[in-house]
Amino acid sequence: MVRAISQRPSALAWLMAAAVAMGLCWYQVVNLLPLSDGRGFELNRILLFNSVLPRAAVALLSGAALGLSGALLQQVLRNPIADPSTLGISAGAQFAMTTATLFAPALMDSARETVALLGGLAVVAFLITVTWKRGLEPITVVLAGMVVSLIAMALSATLILANGEYMMSLLIWGSGSLTQQGWDHAQAIALALSVSLLAAFLLIRPLEILGLDDASARSLGVNLLSLRLLALAVAVWLATTVTAEVGVIGFIGLAAPAFARLCGARSQKNVFVAAPLIGAAILWLADGLVQLAAAGSAEMVPTGAATALLGGPLLLYLLPRLRLARHASVSMSPSPVRRLARPLLPLLVILFLVLGMIVSALLVGRGPDGWSVATGQLLDDLLPFRAPRIAAAAVAGAMLAAAGMILQRMTDNPLASPEVLGVSAGAGVGLAAVLFTFPAPTMGTRLTGAVIGVLVALIALLSVAGQQEKNSERLLLGGLAVGALCNALVNAAMITGDARAFQLLAWISGSTNQTTWTEASAALAVALALLGLLPLMTRWLEILPLGADHARAVGLPLQMTRMTLTLFAAGLTAAASLIVGPLSFVGLVAPHMARLLGFGRAHHQLLAAILIGAGLMTGADWLSRIVSFPYQLPLGLFASLIGGPYLIWLLRRNR
Amino acid sequence: MPTQPYSARNAFALTRRSFLGAAIGSSIIGKVQAKPHRRIAVVDWAMFETLLALDVEPVAATELVQFRKIAVEPHVPAQVADLGLRGSPNFEMLRLSNPDLIISSRWFTWAQDNLEQIAPVVSYSVYEPGRPPYASAAQITLALGERLGRKQRAQAYVDISFLELAQARLRVADRTARPVFLINLGDARHFRVFGTDSMFGDVLQRLGFTNAWPKATSYAAAAPIPLEALAEVPKASIVIISPVPPDARSTLANSPLWNAFPAVREGRVATLPPVNPFGALPAARRFARVLTEALFALGEPNG
Repeated sequence: MVRAISQRPSALAWLMAAAVAMGLCWYQVVNLLPLSDGRGFELNRILLFNSVLPRAAVALLSGAALGLSGALLQQVLRNPIADPSTLGISAGAQFAMTTATLFAPALMDSARETVALLGGLAVVAFLITVTWKRGLEPITVVLAGMVVSLIAMALSATLILANGEYMMSLLIWGSGSLTQQGWDHAQAIALALSVSLLAAFLLIRPLEILGLDDASARSLGVNLLSLRLLALAVAVWLATTVTAEVGVIGFIGLAAPAFARLCGARSQKNVFVAAPLIGAAILWLADGLVQLAAAGSAEMVPTGAATALLGGPLLLYLLPRLRLARHASVSMSPSPVRRLARPLLPLLVILFLVLGMIVSALLVGRGPDGWSVATGQLLDDLLPFRAPRIAAAAVAGAMLAAAGMILQRMTDNPLASPEVLGVSAGAGVGLAAVLFTFPAPTMGTRLTGAVIGVLVALIALLSVAGQQEKNSERLLLGGLAVGALCNALVNAAMITGDARAFQLLAWISGSTNQTTWTEASAALAVALALLGLLPLMTRWLEILPLGADHARAVGLPLQMTRMTLTLFAAGLTAAASLIVGPLSFVGLVAPHMARLLGFGRAHHQLLAAILIGAGLMTGADWLSRIVSFPYQLPLGLFASLIGGPYLIWLLRRNR
Repeated sequence: MPTQPYSARNAFALTRRSFLGAAIGSSIIGKVQAKPHRRIAVVDWAMFETLLALDVEPVAATELVQFRKIAVEPHVPAQVADLGLRGSPNFEMLRLSNPDLIISSRWFTWAQDNLEQIAPVVSYSVYEPGRPPYASAAQITLALGERLGRKQRAQAYVDISFLELAQARLRVADRTARPVFLINLGDARHFRVFGTDSMFGDVLQRLGFTNAWPKATSYAAAAPIPLEALAEVPKASIVIISPVPPDARSTLANSPLWNAFPAVREGRVATLPPVNPFGALPAARRFARVLTEALFALGEPNG
């Protein structure tokens, strides 16, 4: 087994990593000696056999299971960045378990793994149905998976918040803790792993053929569909078993096969041997370091949070080394159904609809005695609370729509959206830093912290994307990586589970409830400044989708144009996400709606998108205010419930 | 900008006076007001239960569904309006309940601007990192009593609480040799532990016990702690404060590690009914009572 990877010098690095992990584990064991304390309890012996050793076993087994799961997914989907976390399998499993905990606690007691498996399978089945027509094109699959995973996490957070339950169990699952108190978990994972390993090796030959392309595979007599489904089911089973037993452990499944290939594993058999070994080594090492840092039993950092911290930089490191096949389908923006000859009138209609939406959001609400249309004195009373939040939501929607419009035109990718840039998650890191440094931060301090977070995320993204201006898809993936890193940092900050963590959770799920005129007017000022300059750039937005050669031909300074547009998109996203949180698909949806309505020219589409974005976000804010009055639901939930189904429709139709 | 609701509509005729009160109140905010308030809203749970203990019935409070489940007592009258989650209190609902005074705590600093638009805000802080909260809870009870014109009631409540704790201390005097872990179970593998700066930890010490958790906690509790940390003090007893997650109970019953803990093998584990972990004197009294009862249910003194 070892020979397969030790042929390459870089395999030495992994042997060293394994040796260090073993040393760390030995340190934990030595700490427990002598085993008997002489009072007959033999507690140390019990700790050794029921906590320390099973924990090491679970780390090794989970790492191997995730490595194998990632290797299978990447081969079946022909997608070098597929893994249980990028595809949303872990988040789906987590959501299923959260739902079961709240609504069918008996199920969680008796059929935990089945619940998780169903959640994971549902996500994969959904992804496949949605992206099948596009030939499971890698970036589409991963973007859809990320979106599904964001929605699943938003729903989990909403369920927790709406029930006012402890956040603790959610956080423990969401950040994968390897703490053990017996061999149950190790046995369950070992069973899944051994069956899956057997299946994987039986499938090696057909899977290698699958790596070619559909036509050659079919001509060699491989039953494509059933083979793919079988291999997928095995991969999902592995990933959800780990999620059910220890929680979400991110990016091992991505890293292990990638490193296996970088170490020189060429054939499928080599990858299937090396990926689980490398996965086991990474997780064992990470867990050893986490235990060392925790020094016994202080407040712990769950291992899953630590591996997720590695995930972002790893994606960034892998990006330039990935061979991404260019798929014509993804970079082809579908042209509008019909182009409006006279766009002015439809624009006015949209304007009136949006204004109508804002006015009804201002007037209609619920009170202690049920529904009411506020007028006169009642309106005067409520306006100081309703007006700023509606203004802030509308402005945020407009800014996100403009940012999405810029990104989609610039990258010529219909799936680009501000959330993908990862800068909104950067705002969360800044916010977390402020919450945990200052005892009682004011709104101004929070704003400053978030802006600094956004700037740092932005600089990281630009430094990666700047080297690769020729491939705009890599900009999106770089954004995903930055976002993943920031989310891991925010999660790590939330582990403490006190009042500050609740505020972070509230921000993540998006809440306009506490918005005052201070924030609303600040947002308005930023929006006016940034949106006001956009008309100067519509020419760029018109030319860029025609392709780099075209743009050069008409004398567009490509590098400068892209940098300026990226900065604008990032600024708009940052200002908006401070208000409505990191999660909303308004930036994705609004430009598409404008295009589908027939606004083809850049400046018309921009105006229409801004109006639609403002209207959508106002609607989402209104829903979050009234659906379970007086309990306020997260705005991000409704924004994603509007954007999510639209994304499905878009992905299916877009061919 | 504070609103000055002045001319009330017919539908709100009953509340005209309180509108006026709010307008006057906001003009003299900052000065100590001796005149009793009529309509008090409260966003913090510790303040909420203190008000109920003083027989002051607030017009509105936060997260009543959860309060009735977790804090259990004092009883919440049906006419108190629910303001929604503590993490995001519903300002519209708060406005509609027309308070003339809002009682808040340090945790709601971020909402201060919005709260002050509605009515004058007074803020008290029971919980400070590193400070046992019982004494400040007692002081705040007295301060609230003075502000709300219930000085004697407040003094009596503080006295009876003190007396009750002293009596409980006498009852358990022969059982205090063992240190005690105070935990909430997060799932079957992790717990949240209450330190000396928590209300539970403070009451525990006032009853004469030692808190088995040796380390400092930030904001009263530390979480999540892996279960094996309980093994560090083998002679300690373990007190689990409800609610216990549904899957944790049966998993623990089958867990070799859990069953190997000396406290579990020797039957020194007690499960208490829910108590508000961030409460004031009423929570302290409830905790002292249920703890004493649970320890007596465990059996003979442990020397």
